Amino acid sequence: MTLEALIQVLIGGLLLGGLYALVAFGLSLIYGVVRILNFSHGTLLSVGGVLASLLYATYKLHPVFLILILVPAFFAFGYLFYAYLLQPLERRSHFESTVGTVLVTVGALLILSDLTAKLAGATQRNIPLRFEAIEIGEIVISTTQIWILGGIAVLTVAMQVFLRKTWFGRAIRAVTQDPVGARICGVDSSRMKAATFAFGSSIVAVAAVLYSMSFPVDPYMGFGLTVKAFTIIILGGIGNLVGALLAGLFLGVAEGLTGFFWKPEWAPALSVILLLLILVVFPKGLGRSR
Amino acid sequence: MNKSLRGALLCASVAGALTCAGPAAAKLNSCNDPIVLGTTISETGPFSTLADKWRKLTEVFAEEVNKGGGIMVKACNKKVPVKFVIYDDQSVPATAVSLYEKMATVDNVDFFVGPDWSSLGGPVPPIAEKHKIPMVAANVASPALYDRGLKYLWGTPFPVVPRWSERYFDMVSKQTPKPQSIFFVTHDNPVMKGITAYWSKKAEAQGIKVLGSETFSPDLKDFTAMIAKLRAAKPDIIYIAAFDSASVPLVQQMRQLKVKAMDVHHVMLTGSLARQVGKDIEGMTGELSWYPGIKGAYSDLVETVMQRSDVNMFDYIWTLGRLSSYLVMMQAIEKAGAIDREKVKDALYKGTFKSPAGDIVFDERGFPDTGAFTVQMQNGKVNVVWPPHVATSKPVWPSPSWQ
Repeated sequence: MTLEALIQVLIGGLLLGGLYALVAFGLSLIYGVVRILNFSHGTLLSVGGVLASLLYATYKLHPVFLILILVPAFFAFGYLFYAYLLQPLERRSHFESTVGTVLVTVGALLILSDLTAKLAGATQRNIPLRFEAIEIGEIVISTTQIWILGGIAVLTVAMQVFLRKTWFGRAIRAVTQDPVGARICGVDSSRMKAATFAFGSSIVAVAAVLYSMSFPVDPYMGFGLTVKAFTIIILGGIGNLVGALLAGLFLGVAEGLTGFFWKPEWAPALSVILLLLILVVFPKGLGRSR
Repeated sequence: MNKSLRGALLCASVAGALTCAGPAAAKLNSCNDPIVLGTTISETGPFSTLADKWRKLTEVFAEEVNKGGGIMVKACNKKVPVKFVIYDDQSVPATAVSLYEKMATVDNVDFFVGPDWSSLGGPVPPIAEKHKIPMVAANVASPALYDRGLKYLWGTPFPVVPRWSERYFDMVSKQTPKPQSIFFVTHDNPVMKGITAYWSKKAEAQGIKVLGSETFSPDLKDFTAMIAKLRAAKPDIIYIAAFDSASVPLVQQMRQLKVKAMDVHHVMLTGSLARQVGKDIEGMTGELSWYPGIKGAYSDLVETVMQRSDVNMFDYIWTLGRLSSYLVMMQAIEKAGAIDREKVKDALYKGTFKSPAGDIVFDERGFPDTGAFTVQMQNGKVNVVWPPHVATSKPVWPSPSWQ
């Protein structure tokens, strides 16, 4: 195999990994603050992707406008979902609360998938917006990919700044690190949890638009993405955005190289293999939690 | 009232209620009642996109056949109307199994037509075997499923693996410039793997060198690695053996990464694929079992049924396989001359039956020899390009859009 082919695979892997990282950001924040394993997180991406594709197909809206529409909608959905379905479970015993959150989020996964399939159809959709490709010798770089990679980089930096420099970001980190201490300092942890859940959901909206610009989405693809996001946050550390980004890129590139040097049919299974491996060999995780 | 009497009355009333509430059972071998064909259709679940209009299609088929009185049955000395019992198998093998069991024991259907798909065609036929009910399955294409020694199973998949790309490779052999190499890209699925295994050998036998063969999981979204290998191999033909939806990102990314070839062939070139990939499909070749306009046995009936039920062959490419299962069962009953399961079974055994796309000849396993026409996407339309005597357009070779 040629060096050009290898570079091509690495570029594709970076793009895929960046998208995985975006999905993992929201899940990582939600788990870090709310301590809920949201099994429906990836399904939100598939629903968002289908919605974005439909809006693009109908109104030919630019992806930036799609993001501007979906982000507040997903924020509102996430807030209400947490406030009405998950927060009431906190009043129950630890066991009931844990089982309840799993049931609610898995139930949401199934309902959202089936509802989307019923309303929009089960076929794959995407945003077929294609810019001219750049060719350097045998390497072809799609400018769409460059835009998406740029978008991921900007969003990562923006989120990092947001979490470090704003009151809301600092409050999130405070609740993540010491919930009792945060409450003593006047942080309303209940509202903060709902807002974090909503914020994590709204990040998925951005990921959904960028993902459907590169790959097709369908209502049933969400759970696989959730598993990848779990792998990434375990690799990168809970609440650690830079760690999640690096872990996402690692997973994307590893999947690409698996297909390149071995067999493509094994690439989707790689995240599960990695997840099991990490859980067995490094039960406390690899990354540092924030 | 003592306890035992009360218990007996309760049992009797429950049994009575169940009998009354159950669906009306068909009367077997009756000339005065319709012939009841039991079937399941994947109206929901993953296969629903391929079959969600087939309930209407089936109902219209029965209406059209019954317009002429139904099926001629010699023993009855008259035509007997046909009636379908239809359930949704939800694309789930276990559901299909329980529904066929129900049709055999509760609905008492005369014969089975369907199901579709190899995943259902594995577990369902043993139900027909157990109850000795002849079953003409529809789109069950894996030859191995017919190698189990089942005596009550026949199938009408269009096309079958050994004839899938027969006309395509015939066309290729007559084109200039002659392709020297081919690369197979295969969806990880038993039928698609079977197609690649069979046609890669045929390609070699035809003097076309196989430069590579890659298999992909239906969950794979990023095909960069596979496309990098394709680009490095530089084959003349890229042969995609995949279900349409699974290959959407592959086709899109092949275009994005500027893959070049004389021809890109897709064994499931469908309306759904065309809608999803848009202009990217231009120039690709593929297979289609039949299209309205080709005259053959029952072609008028099939065209009317498809038109009335709003089924387009390009969108629902497995429709001919489904309708052929009805046509074959209809002809088998006529040949048997009786609504008798054993006589119909004998009529089906190694029989030859008519279809719009030509004769269907079953081998001793119940496996047919159905073929397909070669099509090409030209200026956004699907055209039959091979064989020449039925072609609506000449093949464009090499395909300009892939240069």
